[in-house]
Amino acid sequence: MTFAGLPLAWLVGIGTSAAAATVLLYILKLRRRPVAVAFAPLWHRVLGDRDASRLFSKLRRWLSLALQLLLLALLALALADPRPTHELGTGRNLVLLIDASASMQATDEKPTRLDAAKNVAKSLVRGLGGSDRALVVAMGAVPVPLSTMSDEATDLVAAVDRVRAADTRADFGRALELAADALHGLPNGEIVVLSDGVLAPPEPAPDLGGAALRFAPVGKSGRNLAITAFSVRRYPLDKSRLEVMAELANLDGARAEVELSLLGDGAIIDSERLVIEPGAKLSRFFPDVGGARHALEARVRYADGHADALPADDHAYALVPERRRAKVLVVTAGNTYLEAALLLDEYLDVTDVKPSQYPPTGAFDATIFDGVAPPPADKSGGLVYLNPPATGGPVKLGKAIAGFGFDTWDKKSPLLRFTAPGDVQVASGHALEPGPGDKVVGASDDGPILVAGNRSGRPFVVLGFDPRQSDFVLRPAWPLFVLNAIDSFSESDTSYVSAYRTGEVWRVPVPPGAHEAELATPDGSTRAVPVEDGRAVTFGDRAGFYRLTSGTDAARSVTEFAANLSDLDESRILPQKKLTVASHEAPPPAVGSGGVRRELWLWLLAAVLALSVLEWITYHRRVTV
Amino acid sequence: MGLLDFLRPRKAAPAPAASSELFDDEFQRKLEMLALVSRRVFSGRLRAERRSKKKGSGVEFADHRDYVPGDDIRSVDWNVYHRFGRLLVRLYEEEEDLSIYFLLDCSASMGFAGSQKFDQARRLVASLAYVGLANLDRVTVLAMTEGTLERLPTTRGKGRIFTVFRFLSSLLPGGTTDLAESLREFAAQHKRRGLALLVSDFYDPAGFEHGINVLRYEGFEPYVIHLVDRREAKPELDGDVLVVDCETGDEREVTVTPGVLTRLGSAYEQYLGDIERYCTQKRVPYLAADVTLPFDEIVLRALRRGGFLH
Repeated sequence: MTFAGLPLAWLVGIGTSAAAATVLLYILKLRRRPVAVAFAPLWHRVLGDRDASRLFSKLRRWLSLALQLLLLALLALALADPRPTHELGTGRNLVLLIDASASMQATDEKPTRLDAAKNVAKSLVRGLGGSDRALVVAMGAVPVPLSTMSDEATDLVAAVDRVRAADTRADFGRALELAADALHGLPNGEIVVLSDGVLAPPEPAPDLGGAALRFAPVGKSGRNLAITAFSVRRYPLDKSRLEVMAELANLDGARAEVELSLLGDGAIIDSERLVIEPGAKLSRFFPDVGGARHALEARVRYADGHADALPADDHAYALVPERRRAKVLVVTAGNTYLEAALLLDEYLDVTDVKPSQYPPTGAFDATIFDGVAPPPADKSGGLVYLNPPATGGPVKLGKAIAGFGFDTWDKKSPLLRFTAPGDVQVASGHALEPGPGDKVVGASDDGPILVAGNRSGRPFVVLGFDPRQSDFVLRPAWPLFVLNAIDSFSESDTSYVSAYRTGEVWRVPVPPGAHEAELATPDGSTRAVPVEDGRAVTFGDRAGFYRLTSGTDAARSVTEFAANLSDLDESRILPQKKLTVASHEAPPPAVGSGGVRRELWLWLLAAVLALSVLEWITYHRRVTV
Repeated sequence: MGLLDFLRPRKAAPAPAASSELFDDEFQRKLEMLALVSRRVFSGRLRAERRSKKKGSGVEFADHRDYVPGDDIRSVDWNVYHRFGRLLVRLYEEEEDLSIYFLLDCSASMGFAGSQKFDQARRLVASLAYVGLANLDRVTVLAMTEGTLERLPTTRGKGRIFTVFRFLSSLLPGGTTDLAESLREFAAQHKRRGLALLVSDFYDPAGFEHGINVLRYEGFEPYVIHLVDRREAKPELDGDVLVVDCETGDEREVTVTPGVLTRLGSAYEQYLGDIERYCTQKRVPYLAADVTLPFDEIVLRALRRGGFLH
């Protein structure tokens, strides 16, 4: 027999105290209600008969005390939680991995797949043997243990109830690793996966340490429509206009006629019917969108009004890119092409100064140095150097080169977005020697000619040649490059603003100086998030609109952004009836194989209850008094 | 007794019923009726015709005894001397009025818990005293408590009944019962023997026999009226209690159960039976007066039973 409850020292203390209190109460004389009678000798005559059995009366009193002490002993024994030793050795150790990914929100099981999985988990917990133990893990983007390895069915069921589905995919591999770690060194380990099977197979397959893998499938239908991408941008050369892109996927086996609605600030601003072939994706652009000043939302549904199985991916959210007037300082002796490029954006406040007049008063988002490189003043914003001199610039000038062009360039760089600089011809210039941490955005075969970087917290872009010494200024790429550079400094992006994706760590820019931010989530709750390197870092698990507040009261900044599921794999909700890991198919779990829980403390409590009833009956029948 | 009870002043004993309530007009009308009934019961008898055991100067011959010097020579029976040659003196039974002593138990148990025993006892004493007064007997009322006596002086004539009322109305129940001591004092104070009507509940810790025996041994004619209140044998109690004797303060822990109450009822009946058996064996007239019965019915039973007036 093994005692798994309170330590012996505790039990001795509790038992001794309770027994002493009980005995003391028995020793203390019972205070009785005084009642006057006319002639006490009559009572003496009556009770004289009882006096004859006084010994028996005393014995009954002691029997009552013995009964009370027996109750105490049973309670103490119940607190000790005795268990047969042989059962402890043969118990199973289970890890219940409950899939909490977005696909578990599918409603093909009523009310959801997650609820169906929870019910299976609860039946497993209630079927645990007396010496079985289990651990409940919510398997989301990050596996989270919700209980300890416990044999308390109540705690385990409560842990199962705490599992919530997120708008993320599940990290099956990490969950298996966590389960294997939890079962390390424990006998009879079992990992039970309760899921719809929409799981990315772990690569490489983790070592389960001999634990048996079992799979309890849930889900019935895979009929689903999904918005797999949704984004909005301002036109680069006309930032007053918006363009929206939505990508739909038909994940059903049949051709689907769907209705796609676009909502601006909560009101429908566009809607159209589309036909999507089975298993196909369809991109749809909404050009020149009006009617939305702040928020955009896309909704998709079957045209016949029927709902699909997974509502979570039928919505997508985006915020209209914020526009603000950028202040640009141009330090030049005169550059017509530069002035022309800056005229293309009406939201620019351009200030021209001669190199001798630098620095002027005021703060700027960007400063363009044309052929000069004076020491940058404070509040100059981002710096653009066009053909800088040998000294004063952020990067060293290398050798002089001639007859070159952009032989390579970073196609993902925002500086060269929407441009094709490959055919630019340059008469002369200098190769650049970027410093550590600088990024070469464009280079000729003779060396880097376009470098971006950061010096003392101030971003810069250096072009290694005079654009007037090339046909760059004659191409559309020239004004786009200039405006892209300014936009990158002023954070007025003209790219498609895709929302954040759930299931990832988000790094949201916050104003300099903020050390902590508060994030308001789509469900209305708020939480504090840390700020690292000027960005608020948080893990996103819900789709919808977020509001990030940072800074102190004097310089409070509010940033809004949207987050979408946008996970085609997670939208493929066709339930899998088999789960294969490392070429091994997981068999179903044995529900209730542990049989009836043989926990002695329950029987001890039942004995206490029975004895209490017996004592109550004998007392009220005046047997023991 | 709890602390609060200890600190709280003791409640005064319930005040006896006022004279106007205890002996109201209705009561007095019933007395008249009882007096008439008593005359019918004892019809043919003249008043003051009771023969006493005292030998004296009456007219009815009782016995002879030897002459001793100093005897009245007129009482010598010369006929006997003529026939037998012995000087014998004629003895005659002395005729005298009957003395009736009403001995009322005024202990605390008589007024226990608002019991009607004390009121009933006073009504019975008043009724029988009236009958006695109406028959020109010498009536004396004595109240016994704590071994002492309170006495209404001997009186006669029914016009004195209001004196009896006032005396009875002034009595309060209280103290312990010690019939033997009280009656010994009574016997010592009253040389004139007569009918001693003992009205009590006989809750005497020393035993009921002693009091009755004192009367018997001192030459009185005892008549026992036993006040019975059967509710005392069926108290509304349950559970663990401490029973306290209302007179002696004697305590006893009791767990009251239906069985205990049944045994208490049996003990009570046995106690009543013991008293009645004892009186019967000793030829002492006994009457159980249930407090739930009307007093006039009890008086009539007493009259019909005989022994009270004869």
